[in-house]
Amino acid sequence: MRKASILLAALLVSLLAVSVGALAQGSLAIVYDVGGRGDLSFNDMAALGGERAVRELGVRLTEVESASTADFLPNLRALARSRQHDVIVGVGFLIQDAMAQVAEEFPNQKFALIDGFVDAPNVMSISFADHEGSALVGALAAITALENGGDTVGIVLGIEIPILLRFEVGYRAGVRWAVDRYNEIHGTNKQVRVLYTYTGAFDDPARGKTAAEAMLGQGATVVYQVAGGTGLGVFEAVESAARGQGKVVGPPFAIGVDSAQDYISPGFIAVSMVKRVDNGVFEAIKRALDGTFQGGAVTLKLAEGGVAASSVEMVELFFDEAVAAGAKTPEEKAVAMAGVRAAREAVPQLAWDLLNELDSLIRSGEYVVPEALDRDTAEYWRSVLSTY
Amino acid sequence: MPDRSAPPAGAAGQYKPVSVLAGAPPWLEMRGITKVYPNGTRALENVDLRVAKGEIHGLLGENGAGKSTLMKILSGILPFTSGRILLGGREVSLRSTHDALAHGIGMVHQHFSLVPTFNALDNIILGRGASLASPDRAAARKRIQRLMEETGLHAPLDIPIEQLPVGTQQRIEILKTLDRNVDLLILDEPTAVLTPQETDQLFEVLNGLAARGTTIILITHKLREVLALTNAVTVLRSGRVVGSRLTEGATAQDLARMMVGTERLPEVKERRQHEKTEPVLRVAGLTVKGDGGQDAVKNVSFEINAGEIFAIAGVTGNGQSELIEALSGLRPIANGRAYLLGHSINGKGPRELYRMGLAHVPEDRHRLGMVAQFSVLENSILGVHHEPRFRRGLPGTLHWGKVRRYARDLVHRFQVVTPSLATPMRSLSGGNQQKLVVGRELAKSPSLIIAGQPTRGLDVGATAAIRDLLVDIRNEGKAVLLVSADLDEVLALADRVAVMYEGEILAILERHEFDRERIGLLMGGVHDGSAAG
Amino acid sequence: MDPRPVEQRELEALSRRERQRQLRGTFAGLAEIVVALVIGLFVGALVMDGAGYDWKLAYEGLLIGAFGDQWAIADTLASATPLILTGLVFGLSARAGYFNIGAQGQMIVGALAAVAVGAHVSAPPVMAVTLTFLAAALAGALWALPAALLKATRGVHEVISTIMFNWIAHYTALYMVFNVLNDPRSAERTVRVLPEARLGAIIPGADMTAAIFVAVGVALFMYWLLWHSPWGYEMRIAGLNPSALRYAGASPLWSVNLTFILAGIAAGIAGATQIIGRPPTYALYGDLSNVRNLGFDGIAVALIGRNHPLGIILAAIFIGAMGAGSRMMQIMAGVPLDMVRIVHGTVIIALAAPEVWSLLGKFLSRGRARREAASTAHSKTVQR
Repeated sequence: MRKASILLAALLVSLLAVSVGALAQGSLAIVYDVGGRGDLSFNDMAALGGERAVRELGVRLTEVESASTADFLPNLRALARSRQHDVIVGVGFLIQDAMAQVAEEFPNQKFALIDGFVDAPNVMSISFADHEGSALVGALAAITALENGGDTVGIVLGIEIPILLRFEVGYRAGVRWAVDRYNEIHGTNKQVRVLYTYTGAFDDPARGKTAAEAMLGQGATVVYQVAGGTGLGVFEAVESAARGQGKVVGPPFAIGVDSAQDYISPGFIAVSMVKRVDNGVFEAIKRALDGTFQGGAVTLKLAEGGVAASSVEMVELFFDEAVAAGAKTPEEKAVAMAGVRAAREAVPQLAWDLLNELDSLIRSGEYVVPEALDRDTAEYWRSVLSTY
Repeated sequence: MPDRSAPPAGAAGQYKPVSVLAGAPPWLEMRGITKVYPNGTRALENVDLRVAKGEIHGLLGENGAGKSTLMKILSGILPFTSGRILLGGREVSLRSTHDALAHGIGMVHQHFSLVPTFNALDNIILGRGASLASPDRAAARKRIQRLMEETGLHAPLDIPIEQLPVGTQQRIEILKTLDRNVDLLILDEPTAVLTPQETDQLFEVLNGLAARGTTIILITHKLREVLALTNAVTVLRSGRVVGSRLTEGATAQDLARMMVGTERLPEVKERRQHEKTEPVLRVAGLTVKGDGGQDAVKNVSFEINAGEIFAIAGVTGNGQSELIEALSGLRPIANGRAYLLGHSINGKGPRELYRMGLAHVPEDRHRLGMVAQFSVLENSILGVHHEPRFRRGLPGTLHWGKVRRYARDLVHRFQVVTPSLATPMRSLSGGNQQKLVVGRELAKSPSLIIAGQPTRGLDVGATAAIRDLLVDIRNEGKAVLLVSADLDEVLALADRVAVMYEGEILAILERHEFDRERIGLLMGGVHDGSAAG
Repeated sequence: MDPRPVEQRELEALSRRERQRQLRGTFAGLAEIVVALVIGLFVGALVMDGAGYDWKLAYEGLLIGAFGDQWAIADTLASATPLILTGLVFGLSARAGYFNIGAQGQMIVGALAAVAVGAHVSAPPVMAVTLTFLAAALAGALWALPAALLKATRGVHEVISTIMFNWIAHYTALYMVFNVLNDPRSAERTVRVLPEARLGAIIPGADMTAAIFVAVGVALFMYWLLWHSPWGYEMRIAGLNPSALRYAGASPLWSVNLTFILAGIAAGIAGATQIIGRPPTYALYGDLSNVRNLGFDGIAVALIGRNHPLGIILAAIFIGAMGAGSRMMQIMAGVPLDMVRIVHGTVIIALAAPEVWSLLGKFLSRGRARREAASTAHSKTVQR
């Protein structure tokens, strides 16, 4: 019985190999994080990059989701073993250990790791200037609070890993820069405090909601979520707080992360810090195909399109993605987009102006956003940035 | 007891035949009733039953003969496979208890269906499916009081059921049924839980009801009741009618023969005489608490000698259960002492007592004496499973081969009828379950065996077998403590009888002093003074 | 007349009938499983077909991913390893009459203990591994004990207490991962266990480690205990009829405690297998994702395995195969993981359904038996 099944399996594998080999003009495989597709965030962004590669480069796309962290290694191995993929992309920091192992086992296979680092010649470790993007939305958050008579903003994070420290410190830097600029313009001496919570999870909306509710209770006007699925609870908390005051549009506002999340809670998300994971994935397969692939760390900065504040066009693109994932229906689009525009109009013009000003300062290198990747550095910047 | 063959008291002197067999027209006719269960079991085979208006008809048979099945069909609880039911000459369709009640047929079950925390009035109102709201209540109270006057069934209406004696509860259950304007009253083993006095009262009430024209069918396996109460009797065996006959002129032997198919009555074996020795069990001033913390057994003292069956008679619930639980190590002794072969048993658990020579056939074999889901094999070593003789060399490993040999031996010696040793215990008939339990306990070769209600619920054959076993071990010189609510059993088996009432032993009688009337009175708490001491 | 031959014949007939019955029982059990499997796969195929996926290719992928080559088989067994143990937790407890759903919490605590000992106690390899397993077993047992004591002394239902202890374990673990056992260079997880406490892959290129032998060993021990030792005999009685156990001279309290402790040991070891027996991380992740749901999956495993240790081994391998096969369902047929899970779910429900019914029936009949015992009238006999 088992012998027969093995024979059958072997037969099928060889058939498959032949049929695929015949039409392959490049092949891309993506292994998603636990939580995976449908997070309307990081993983879906990666998928978007994969789809763009299918469209623009004509590659074949194979996607694998992971049920648990224990699946990373066998998932990567199964793909590497098939020898069909020009590059295998692992999405997310947690995949790092598994990718280090597989990269060693399959030295001729090209890998790319989003948001982590593996020191191997066949792994391209792609990271993003999260601190720069977070500074942009921090500036917007601070001005939105001040212009609405507030003095508090919040940030809800997932697990306290180095990358999230970078988000937090970047956000604080943006807040501080904007408050200083505001005081400079108006000749005032205002202050904005930053509330922060590490929830310890990327997949627990209930905890995100509780954390955001606590911040709103302490007077936060804007809450930035950097917590994956946990962040969906932040949106819920902000929207229900606003609706509780009879509002159909913020403030209070939430700020989305990773993808253009503005449409998820239309009217109550001011902007999103878009991490162009799609560009990272696209870059990996493009370089693998044109022969420029190289191992090592690659950081996609604001100036290189690695991060950005979301635009209405991006939101529309993501809405379509959500439709494809089954999270939204096409009919909802008009209403949602109207809400997104209304939110943007409800954000003070000065906030947008300063966001754009900071954007060009960062691009030109005139303002360097501080970066923290460990707790001590983060603690240092927390105290420096909040001392007036 | 009134003689049922005589005209009923209220019949204005004119003789009316009260049985179809005596020429009365049939009022209820069940013709060719056959019941086949979906699994193929043929519970009833072409059963005929004819009952006249105002008749008290006995339905006699062993456990599993089909009596209850037949009556459940008549009261609309069970559907039947084929046959007809006629009432007053017209065929009726009885698809539910509702249908049956609409035709005036009501059944009082063995297990009462009363809400324990409600009083009688509420229970009776609920029985009609009416609202407990006040407008109904006053009317219902009046109606029920009138009914009590007419029938002589008196019961307090405002006391919660759980505080009433079982006999009263039964009267309420009957009232509840009669309140539905029932012409045909079916009673399923109504005397199982009653004292002799309560039984007599019930019979008077039933006679009165019959005289008023209510037809009564009495399910029973007690011969004495059939002879005392009924006009005619139909005997079932294995789902078939063995015969119907007028009660007048019948003897217990006749009926027993019809019921079990032989003339074998629960007669017991010859008993051998023993020399008096040191007592095997000595109980001195024993007090045991009940579940509610009350004194369930009060300062009880007695001795049991080797080669003696010492019986405790009494209506269920007078402290017998607590007494045997205390003596078998399942319940703490609150006060007093007990000695087994001279050694104190205070504070000892079941396993230690077993080592000291005690075996225990528990009253409630389903709850204590066996594990229903376990096989016959596994049940055969319950309580001795830890013994080295069932072990293998590897420390602590059960040697199933040895257990199997042991179980086969038990099954054979005690004639347990089982399809296999792997059969779950619950698939066995009650008699065979009990034979295995008794056998297992006897195989412990104890000095004292405590047997609680050993034949309760068993058919005649199994009952006789169990009783024979008890006499056998008595004759072997062992001591037996028999607790039984069945007075016939006590009188047949015991060398001495202690009667328990409300936790006390009212009297201990030697065999030559045995007197049914007197023991019955003691069981009902009536102390005539002559036997005190 | 010599009675011996008659007796002999009777006894022989008795054992013959017994063997026939057992054979029939085994056959009926197998038939039931096959029918359930076919129904489950059929419904799964309908679902996939309805959603526009190629179900034939998906099932081919399932087969290849689970058994297609030596690596696939090894991955299947690696996935099965913790499930055998968490399945035993529920199965053993169910045999003893409890709904112990505390495997998740006990396993988490076991994993924490494995990290604590494995990362800090330096010893020769075999010793280090043994110590780590022992620490995890002890932690799991201690974590199971409060539920047993609450049950035995206060009558607290084990479902409530074990659920609560699951959450206590969950949040305790989060605290420990980030604050006590945290790897300062990699804040998303604990420190790694020392190399000498790690179990290596048996077949290079697959995750299976010697942990599978530990799991199977524990299962075989549980089998021996339940069916070939007097203590297991008592545990099974405790589950079905505690009064009878007291009557038989044993203590139901002791049996409850023993059951929970043994279950806790199995759960604790399950936690350890995910830390020291599953490459490449050898640490506990901050979102506990390497022990995620394994405790609850154990319930399904136990139900499919009919709460029998040997059945649980097979069921765990089956569920492990579904897990390992899921990647090829994704890779070959492009069926997304959510859809794969739906298919798994239907198959698992179909396989577990008969046991769920019988468990329910058991609990209902226990209630009925209690009510009957409470009523004073004649005891019921089986109508034949």
